[in-house]
Amino acid sequence: MDPIDVASLLDDRPGDGVFRVHRGVFSDPRIFELEMKYIFEANWVFLGLTSQVPHPHDYLTTTVGRQPVVVMRDGEGNLNAFINSCPHKGAKLCHLAQGNRKIHVCQYHSWSFDSAGRIRGLKFKEDGHYSPAFDDDSHDLPKLPRFEVYRGFMFGSMSDDVLPLGEYLGEAKTFIDIAVDTSPQGLELVPGVVGFTYQGNWKLQLENCSDQYHFTSTHPSYLRVLDRRAERGWEGTVRANVRGRGGRKAQQFPADGLEHIAGGSTSFEHGHVLNWNRRTVNDSHPLYERAEELKERFGEARRDWMFNTRNLTLFPNVQIAENASSQLRVIRPIAPNKTEMLTYCIAPVGESPSARAQRIRQYEDFFNPSGLATPDDTINYEDCQDGHMNPLAPWLQGYARGMTLASGDGDPFIDKLGVKALSSAIGGVELGDETIFHTYYRTWRRLLLKGLNAERAAARAGTNNTASAPAGTMETVR
Amino acid sequence: MSTALTPAAAAEFLYREALLLDRQRFDDWVGLYADDAVYWIPAWKSEHQLTDNPDTELSLLYCASRSALVDRVWRLTSNLSVASMPLARTSHSVTNVLVERAEGDCVEVCSSWSSHVYNPKYKSQHVYFGSYEHTLRREDAGWKIARKKIMLLNDFIPTVLDLYMV
Repeated sequence: MDPIDVASLLDDRPGDGVFRVHRGVFSDPRIFELEMKYIFEANWVFLGLTSQVPHPHDYLTTTVGRQPVVVMRDGEGNLNAFINSCPHKGAKLCHLAQGNRKIHVCQYHSWSFDSAGRIRGLKFKEDGHYSPAFDDDSHDLPKLPRFEVYRGFMFGSMSDDVLPLGEYLGEAKTFIDIAVDTSPQGLELVPGVVGFTYQGNWKLQLENCSDQYHFTSTHPSYLRVLDRRAERGWEGTVRANVRGRGGRKAQQFPADGLEHIAGGSTSFEHGHVLNWNRRTVNDSHPLYERAEELKERFGEARRDWMFNTRNLTLFPNVQIAENASSQLRVIRPIAPNKTEMLTYCIAPVGESPSARAQRIRQYEDFFNPSGLATPDDTINYEDCQDGHMNPLAPWLQGYARGMTLASGDGDPFIDKLGVKALSSAIGGVELGDETIFHTYYRTWRRLLLKGLNAERAAARAGTNNTASAPAGTMETVR
Repeated sequence: MSTALTPAAAAEFLYREALLLDRQRFDDWVGLYADDAVYWIPAWKSEHQLTDNPDTELSLLYCASRSALVDRVWRLTSNLSVASMPLARTSHSVTNVLVERAEGDCVEVCSSWSSHVYNPKYKSQHVYFGSYEHTLRREDAGWKIARKKIMLLNDFIPTVLDLYMV
């Protein structure tokens, strides 16, 4: 395939008020290949929650880019991430989504490993007539060069050349804190995982979660259902935390000069973003039972933020969507035009049974590929994907709203949290800021160019880095 | 009125429900349900374990009344849901119908089902399959569905699953 000029796919001219994305970023297989190599397999990616592997020898399987990965807790309680593939012939070692095992035996030739990834048994080793060179090799499971946890969120990187996780997450950490602090014991996943695919690029999911502009256009059937329930009474149905068309503007905020502000968007270094809507503290939210306690512990401003809807993306593969309910989404790109989503209801540990049931009902109502809202999103992604090969009008126009509003000067809402944003914008329900997407694509461009430049430098130096990029990072482990 | 629903009549009831879905006569379909009907598609919590408590575990779909189903049916033909325009075409097969328990005005029936789903927009097709548990209850207006649990065996979903597809 011809090389591709990555920089030419973003028309990013802040001075001219222009930010446009070329449709090719969603459809070109060469771009997808670069994204796998230089974003997913050379950068921090989300792996799971520590609460999924609470006990010694617990494990969970996932993927990093195209690589099968297993996260294990060893006998001493330490967590590590490994390539889930036997060093002998490459067979997958752990086959289930989650489990508990002291010793993992490869089902192909019975090489066995402990939960710290160390080789424990190599079948018929003594009779194997191995050369001394074989013994010079490590037979342990290849460990991901970087693995770190922030407040229960586990991340790994297949490249050692990344910032410490705390620096990578940066100011976005505050919004992880706000989610985790809703319970003194932190967050857990409600049992039951829902997986689905859509025929579209992974970045469509990345964008949609941060897209305030689509809500009333994509989800009118959901909003009308809420109106129908409100008129008829909530009996036998789900009392939503989101308001229907009738109630969208009816919330009463204190007359502090900001009562017209419905929400906003905030973007951070390294591609993380938050978009949010104000919500009054009211009993349609399962957190209401803790409203006073949270105010005492964290102060009114921070407590109020816990009730706001908040869609947080941690680039590139995880979203915590707290709007109609609370969802953890893990994005896995399969192909330029195919994406897998694993979705979970994420909830504060120790909430009352009635609050938990309310949260779950609100979740199923809105989310899920069988819910009242998510399918209308994903079908829109597929419609977008169909148009992403269009060569006549290649520049998409969906990154322009808010261009003359967004700034790096902060806003009264994030200022209360002491958060410093790369850019933020606040406004009424009609704002639908699109500058929130800019940090996604600037980060995307930076990571791809970093990888390509390293590749070219290596080629000039006479080594073939193209073939060894993923393998090379693994070699550093040994 | 004291005789229980015969196995043949129970099977016919299930076939009729499937027919109404395939013909997209959604108002008639929802008319088969009791006012307090529970309609439940549990999620899976592991490779071989369904969730079993809808208040503490996640479901794909859980409706606790007929009016909740009425809302969902309204959405399908509202022209306000892009995921429902155009509606997919479906063909349900219900087999292995077994009356598990019959006590006067209440009958529990289990069965196997598959549903071929064709999406005319993308010219794509998919088969969902699994088993049903129906609780049928005799009311003044005849037999109604008091509870329906749908065990979906292939729960990795290509974009959309709606109640007329399962």
